[in-house]
Amino acid sequence: MLRAALLRSHIRKQCRSYVRPTSQVSAEPYGHLPTSQSPITPRMNFINSVTPDGTQIPTYRVLDGVGQLLDGAELPELDEAFARKIYENMVQLPIVDNLMNNVQRQGKISFYMTAHGEEATMIGSAAALANDDEILGQYREMGTLLWRGFGLDNVMAQCFGNHQDTSTKGKQMPVHFSSKEYHFHTISSPLATQVPQAAGVGYAIKRDPNRRGKNCAAVYFGEGAASEGDFHAGMLLASTIPSPTLFIARNNGFAISTPASEQYHGDGIAARGPGYGIDTLRVDGNDVLAVLSGIREARRRCIEQGRGVLVEAMSYRVGHHSTSDDSFAYRPRQEVEDRKRIDNPIARYRKFLEARKWWDEEEEEELKDRLKKDVMKAFKKHETMQRHEVKEMFEDVYGGEMPWNIKEQREELKALLKKYGKDWEPWRSELKKHKGEGKELLEDKSS
Amino acid sequence: MFAPSKLTQASRRQLALLQAARRWESTSGTKAPPAGGHLPSIATSAFLRQTRDSSLRTPGLRWADEDHAGPPSNALGGRETRKMNLYQAVRDAMSIALTKDDSAIVFGEDVAFGGVFRCTMGLAEEFGRERVFNTPLTEQGIAGFGIGVASMGQTAIAEIQFADYIYPAFDQLVNEAAKFRFRSGGQYSAGGLTVRCPTMSVGHGGLYHSQSPEGYFMGAAGLKLVIPRSPIQAKGLLLSAIRDPNPVIFMEPKILYRSSVEQVPIDDFEIPLGRAETLTQGSDLTLLTWGTPIYHCETALHMLANPPAPVAKHVPESLRKAKIELIDLRTILPWDVETVAESVNRTGRLVIVHEASKTGGVGGEISAEIQKRCFLKLDAPVKRVTGWDTPVPMQYEKFYIPDALRILDAMVETLSY
Repeated sequence: MLRAALLRSHIRKQCRSYVRPTSQVSAEPYGHLPTSQSPITPRMNFINSVTPDGTQIPTYRVLDGVGQLLDGAELPELDEAFARKIYENMVQLPIVDNLMNNVQRQGKISFYMTAHGEEATMIGSAAALANDDEILGQYREMGTLLWRGFGLDNVMAQCFGNHQDTSTKGKQMPVHFSSKEYHFHTISSPLATQVPQAAGVGYAIKRDPNRRGKNCAAVYFGEGAASEGDFHAGMLLASTIPSPTLFIARNNGFAISTPASEQYHGDGIAARGPGYGIDTLRVDGNDVLAVLSGIREARRRCIEQGRGVLVEAMSYRVGHHSTSDDSFAYRPRQEVEDRKRIDNPIARYRKFLEARKWWDEEEEEELKDRLKKDVMKAFKKHETMQRHEVKEMFEDVYGGEMPWNIKEQREELKALLKKYGKDWEPWRSELKKHKGEGKELLEDKSS
Repeated sequence: MFAPSKLTQASRRQLALLQAARRWESTSGTKAPPAGGHLPSIATSAFLRQTRDSSLRTPGLRWADEDHAGPPSNALGGRETRKMNLYQAVRDAMSIALTKDDSAIVFGEDVAFGGVFRCTMGLAEEFGRERVFNTPLTEQGIAGFGIGVASMGQTAIAEIQFADYIYPAFDQLVNEAAKFRFRSGGQYSAGGLTVRCPTMSVGHGGLYHSQSPEGYFMGAAGLKLVIPRSPIQAKGLLLSAIRDPNPVIFMEPKILYRSSVEQVPIDDFEIPLGRAETLTQGSDLTLLTWGTPIYHCETALHMLANPPAPVAKHVPESLRKAKIELIDLRTILPWDVETVAESVNRTGRLVIVHEASKTGGVGGEISAEIQKRCFLKLDAPVKRVTGWDTPVPMQYEKFYIPDALRILDAMVETLSY
């Protein structure tokens, strides 16, 4: 009896919320559909992120072009030592990039990708994250590793693919870094695959009692990669199966030769966040303090809500896409020169530091000298270092016992090396580059 | 209220028919059985273990609660079995995995209410929605999400609703999961990932509820690929797959979900990956297959020995006593070359049966390798009985699948070569 009454009252309540009496003046005179909170309206109204008057989601900025605090802007919490660390890391990035780019031009490494123009996005975001937040990158995020203390030795070892390369043991192309110690997941070439993976990493963090509420998964990707289906999947997953996943879009205007205008028609990547029910912010990616402040808050929300948060950092890819690309084939040289001159993220931040007397010309010269020497020293050390042993090629395909086919193929290579290793010049010279010169394989008795 | 899918309704109908046939058989006093006896079917297969004793003596079965390093125990006294069909055995395996490994999670499209094939029935209620949950409808997302969870050292058991829909996840599985360990120099691995998916034809699945895509993964070094044939096999192999240090794709023949029933040990046990199982011993021909066609092969073996009257004229008397060795490959990648080559070196003849199309199928890979290893011992060309090189056609399925007759014909042709 009582239950029936309760049920009736429950049904009445439900009905009220679905169909509001029209006599009642409310924001929803026609109520809303049962599967949505959308108010019913008699007026046909199309909406779009592309607006008739061109208004877009605003870009959050703290410092103006000459390093002055914008009216109404709030300075992120920052002491002198931290502010200087940010600057030193920003300055270091193009020094490493310039050298490695030149080294590639001389044929000493096979490939390289610079982060010119995105120094503030990289270092600002790295500084805002905890050092044990899990990073999943695309490939232009070396700055976050250097911030965490990965070191130039590891950078050089990976790019040269020598026997000190712990990132990939010489198995991947240059700039495909990897470090469990520094919570930096392996870079892989297929674009955006890391985005849904990040949602899984975020979920794993949430399920780990030691890390729940303390860490997030931060995933970086370019605006081009955001066109992949995996971007959609990742955003959707981190909002629907809530997980602390921080999406950092690097919108640098180009995906190789394709300008952003040919990549999407809507209001950038940021306009998509609300569609997934994800808190979203667009920041000036050339303003390191805006990035620092924006990512800090994004991270806080991400961990507190345990749900995905999106930050789109707007910048400009000053360098070529990679060493295999000449970007002047699709954009005027002058445009690049102008961007470098007018909106240089390092120069802008330096002016801020100088205004606070946290930096001067003398320190600048000392720093650049020191960094150049460090980079050269690491380069020299790794340039001629031998590669991993040849047998490493067959390792780590599988965990546990090596399957018969791989064992047999290793034996096949061993037999071929025995037969031709001294007679076939391409192998003879190549063997010398590897530690042990292939002897470990030839003398291997394990099979 | 859940509306049962057409597929499950149909397989239930099929099962009812089979059971009716069995009942008729058992009370067949009024009608004499046909000469040569009744042909076995999934419901009457001798390969399904109907007693506790035979179930507990499943070859290769290893109790997971025992010390693996020690000698295998024959003390089966305390072990219990329960009658289960394949979906119940799969469910049982996941329940054990979730109980013993706090990090394990089960997810996919519609898994929370029990799954469209009932494989996750009650798991969400038992283990909570944080561990057994629905995902949005995105296969690339499911695979990517699972890889992320696994890369953190946790256990991810993902479901792709039909193997036909695994292709959107192909990039994540082949470029990412398979290469995860290799490319990071062993630092990261997606080894905690198992992707389950229903596979093979079901009578009326048409193009996209029938596929056997195992061949597409044959070259994906770093992945393992497993297909069980029965409830005991499904449970033991799935528990091995979940605990294997490599990403595993586990394809469940969906027609067997309800139709294959046997006594399954209720304790935690594993059946090793990478090993084939010899189901019948023979010396004249090796018949190699996996999944559903096991039962077509069983029927074909009976037809060879006692051909039903209408086809008897096609089966020479001289071949009817032929001793056929039937092997269930079980693991497709990496496959058990040793068992197959040893068998073919004894029999001199090999017939490979699979539902997938011939060109680019797993059969091609196996015949090439066997031809290399058994060249001097082969008395006939390796024969492949497979689906045709067409999509799986709706109203033509009976002519498409490698059924008992086609297997019989292949054996006769190969034996009389």
